[in-house]
Amino acid sequence: MRALDRKLLRDLRRQSAQGAAIALVLACGVAILLMSVGLSRALEETRAAYYERNRFADVFASVRRVPRTLLPEIAALPGVLAVEARIEGAAVLDLPGRTEAAQARVLSLPADGGEPALNLPLLREGRWPDPESAAEVAVNEPFARANGFRPGDSFTAILDGRARVLTITGIALSPEFIYTIGPGAMMPDNAGYGILWLSDRAAAAAFGMQGAFSTVALSLWAGAPEGPVIDALDRLLAPFGAVGAHGRDAQMSNAFLDAEITQLRTIAAILPPVFLVITTYLVGMVMGRIVELERAEIGLLKALGYGRGAILGQYMALSAGVAMAGVLLGWVLGTVLSQAMARLYAQYFDFPFLIFGLSPGVYALSAVLGLAAAMLGALRASLRAAALPPAVAMAPPVPPSYRRGIADRALTALRPSQPTLMILRGLLRWPLRTALSILGLALAVSVLVASNFFPDALDFLVDQSFNLGNRQEAILILGAEAPEGALMAVARLPGVLQAEGQSVAPVRLTHGPRQKTATLEARRPGADLARIVTTDGRTVEPPAGGLLLSERLAAALDAAPGDMIEVALLARGGEVHALPLAGTVPLYFGLGAWTDLDTFSRLLREAPRISAAGVTLDRAAEAEFHAAVKGLPGVAGTILLDRNVAAFRDTIGENVLVVTSIYAFLGIVITAGVAYNGARIQMSERARELASLRILGFSRGEVSYVLVGETMLLALLAQPPGWWIGAAVARLLTDSFASDLYSVPLVLNPATFAQASLVCLLAAFAAAMVVRRRIDRLDLVAVLKTRE
Amino acid sequence: METQVQPVFRTEGLTRIYTSGEVAVRALDGVDLTLEAGAFTVLLGASGSGKSTLLNILGGLDRATAGRVWFRDTEITGASDAALTRFRRDHVGFVFQFYNLIASLTARENVQLVTDVARNPMPPEEALDLVDMGHRIDHFPAQLSGGEQQRVAIARAIAKRPDVLLCDEPTGALDSRTGVRVLEALAAVNDRFGTTTVVITHNAAIRAMAHRVIRFADGRVAEVTENARRLPPSAIDW
Ligand SMILES: Nc1ncnc2c1ncn2[C@@H]1O[C@H](COP(=O)(O)OP(=O)(O)O)[C@@H](O)[C@H]1O
Ligand SMILES: [Mg+2]
Repeated sequence: MRALDRKLLRDLRRQSAQGAAIALVLACGVAILLMSVGLSRALEETRAAYYERNRFADVFASVRRVPRTLLPEIAALPGVLAVEARIEGAAVLDLPGRTEAAQARVLSLPADGGEPALNLPLLREGRWPDPESAAEVAVNEPFARANGFRPGDSFTAILDGRARVLTITGIALSPEFIYTIGPGAMMPDNAGYGILWLSDRAAAAAFGMQGAFSTVALSLWAGAPEGPVIDALDRLLAPFGAVGAHGRDAQMSNAFLDAEITQLRTIAAILPPVFLVITTYLVGMVMGRIVELERAEIGLLKALGYGRGAILGQYMALSAGVAMAGVLLGWVLGTVLSQAMARLYAQYFDFPFLIFGLSPGVYALSAVLGLAAAMLGALRASLRAAALPPAVAMAPPVPPSYRRGIADRALTALRPSQPTLMILRGLLRWPLRTALSILGLALAVSVLVASNFFPDALDFLVDQSFNLGNRQEAILILGAEAPEGALMAVARLPGVLQAEGQSVAPVRLTHGPRQKTATLEARRPGADLARIVTTDGRTVEPPAGGLLLSERLAAALDAAPGDMIEVALLARGGEVHALPLAGTVPLYFGLGAWTDLDTFSRLLREAPRISAAGVTLDRAAEAEFHAAVKGLPGVAGTILLDRNVAAFRDTIGENVLVVTSIYAFLGIVITAGVAYNGARIQMSERARELASLRILGFSRGEVSYVLVGETMLLALLAQPPGWWIGAAVARLLTDSFASDLYSVPLVLNPATFAQASLVCLLAAFAAAMVVRRRIDRLDLVAVLKTRE
Repeated sequence: METQVQPVFRTEGLTRIYTSGEVAVRALDGVDLTLEAGAFTVLLGASGSGKSTLLNILGGLDRATAGRVWFRDTEITGASDAALTRFRRDHVGFVFQFYNLIASLTARENVQLVTDVARNPMPPEEALDLVDMGHRIDHFPAQLSGGEQQRVAIARAIAKRPDVLLCDEPTGALDSRTGVRVLEALAAVNDRFGTTTVVITHNAAIRAMAHRVIRFADGRVAEVTENARRLPPSAIDW
């Protein structure tokens, strides 16, 4: 081995602690890159493969009842490749061992017992129901698992008001229900919401749909645009009470997957660059110091006949060594982290398989970025080393010139102690380095702030949506619209304390060239349970004589208050009314649209009717309430909001804990990396001074104060910019997470900032204390003898 | 003994001006000099008289402000950085006052640093034997005394079989007895290989060893004397 290479290896070993601190920071960046890119690709590829194999449809439409004779016409639409029609309906389930009713969506299987042409469910266990049988059912796997069902088990289903016992023959998964969420629910509730596949015969009998269908799905020729097909399908189905056809983007399960993939991409775009930049900065800082320390050696190597290239290579290789360590560690961390996160995802998304292989390309990309970040950081110092004229390099360095500027005069006027003066002069002497150190620590604080805000945001969201907005504990969904008087019957149910009714109608809103499908809720003003609560906490009443839209929806329609909006009532054959936009409200969830119940009934020229009732319950009588509801013919389903809240808190809470811990770890790594390297550099620069202080009779504690004091002062100065950057990053995250479905509120409590600062200061202190131990080992004599 | 010797170095009006801030220091002020092959030359002069500056320019470590320098028939003033590097690698051995060993390399490895890139080096072990350091070959600089370190530095300088050996106060940091051993090593190399050797010192006692003594003052050659009779280093004391 060449002596120069040996020197390189020994230098690497000598700098291993500092190198490790940098490598760890880089490793975090690499790991997050692998994780977020790996996961988003895994989701995309798994989804794509699943869709492909199970022929997931491109266009979906719901209607009330369409004769099957219309199918050839649909199939003949230009661009259509395949058509699958089926009967869909809602069911209330009485499950053995469960007090409250469960909900289900019922789907019919093809009448001939063959495979559906599209949206092919995947049988996981057992067999499909016999096409001739009306008592057999297949259920979706998460529902079966949550309730402990096996083929052969039975339960009672109320289909269109009639109870019947169904026996499970098979358990299946479907590309339509990768993410399954019941109507009105915020989170998947696997035990309380199921998908049931019934034979065509049974479904037709249950819902009175012989010779007809209620949903249709289309696949398109590759490259055929979906817009014209959707329009044509809407025209064709308009006479049949179509709710409006839509593409994959509005398919619930698919939309949630899209939102998740977008989030992962956002993380991949925001976080790794932060770590790469810090790596660049740390390498630059450390290499600058090493070159400064090794001036004489550099000069010597040049005197011995080594050229610029050799010197440059030497220092670049040093940084590359550190980068390689970081990349390798990042690969290990990233692989482990990705797999752990993939398992977490498996809880949410019901895939029959997971294509999870981090491609070599992702590893290569992360390695290239990591190496580039480190080498970019080393470049300036290395070039400086290579350009050092040998005669100058070997001359002892000129002592740093401390000048008595205005700042210094102000400083001394304060009459600080000598050690304090040393700290402050040191910081003022290298203002750029001081600023960069502060920036590095500030980035650490910002990562902590930006991650810490999530739990608060979720608490806030839950508080807003449930404690303020939807205070009903359960919602009864009425099978058909009922006169407002039906509310009296609901109020008389056992255990019901308060009952409120509202009318819910699927609508298509049109403003100029823009259209959007949404759910219009018509209510009476002064509601106490279901209230419209804005993001800023105001309660807004449904307006009389006009429409109230969420800002998200108004923006999608490009509508401003005062504009006339065309409201097509989809459940009424698309009859069109015009209502002025009375106002808009900022909301976190959904595409809300409201109006006053009287206004709505006047439009329909009917007496007020309701389609859902919200209630609050007497806990003591809950069992009686659920029993009574199960027997009530008009009720198509019950949504238990407190269950929803609990599920929401549980699942999200667990995830948030995992994610927040990861981010806290990242923040600590950055802080420790910056603080440790800063203290080490300071230690090496001040070794002589500190040893002199010791010789002059200062105690170890007093000498340590100079070292630890400077680190802590820097850390303190880093807090305000860290808070500011953290708030900005949090805003960036919330903005990028916003989708059609929901947005995440930006909630920044003082406690978030305080926690972030505490973690950062503790980590900085710990890092400084590790370096401080070197003061104990300071060889006083040796330090004073060496030239540097 | 009068023979026709070829000059190794020749300078003409060599001038070096350092400007730091507003002050300009004339470290060399028009030096005309010829150094013959195989000669052992001692450069004397007060501190700050420009000796190191001259040596650095001769060795291609520094550049002249004005004037010209030839190494044999090649002018090195104005040579490119790469050419100077090659010149140092192929022809020059340096010994400095502060030993300048690389702390993270052993004695052998410090010598190897040079033999790795030289055209016709001797094995590091042989070079170390020449300076009587064969027994400390695997020791790190921190484990060696000042004199031992300086001998390693000499071994490093001679291992490439240089044409010229430039030594800047090689004994400056050493006590008299150790200094003598270092000088012996230098004289031995000069004798055995005929290496042109220039030694800077501000110790006048060393002059007795040299073929030729050049006295420097204020950046100029003040006096050149030839020693008819050289003393062995062992006879020198300071
Ligand atoms: N890098 C430099 N910058 C400014 N002045 C220098 C530098 N190197 C040497 N000098 C000045 O040049 C003069 C000659 O220096 P030097 O050749 O080192 O003298 P010597 O080696 O004879 O003691 C001195 O006055 C010294 O201060
Ligand atoms: Mg000198």
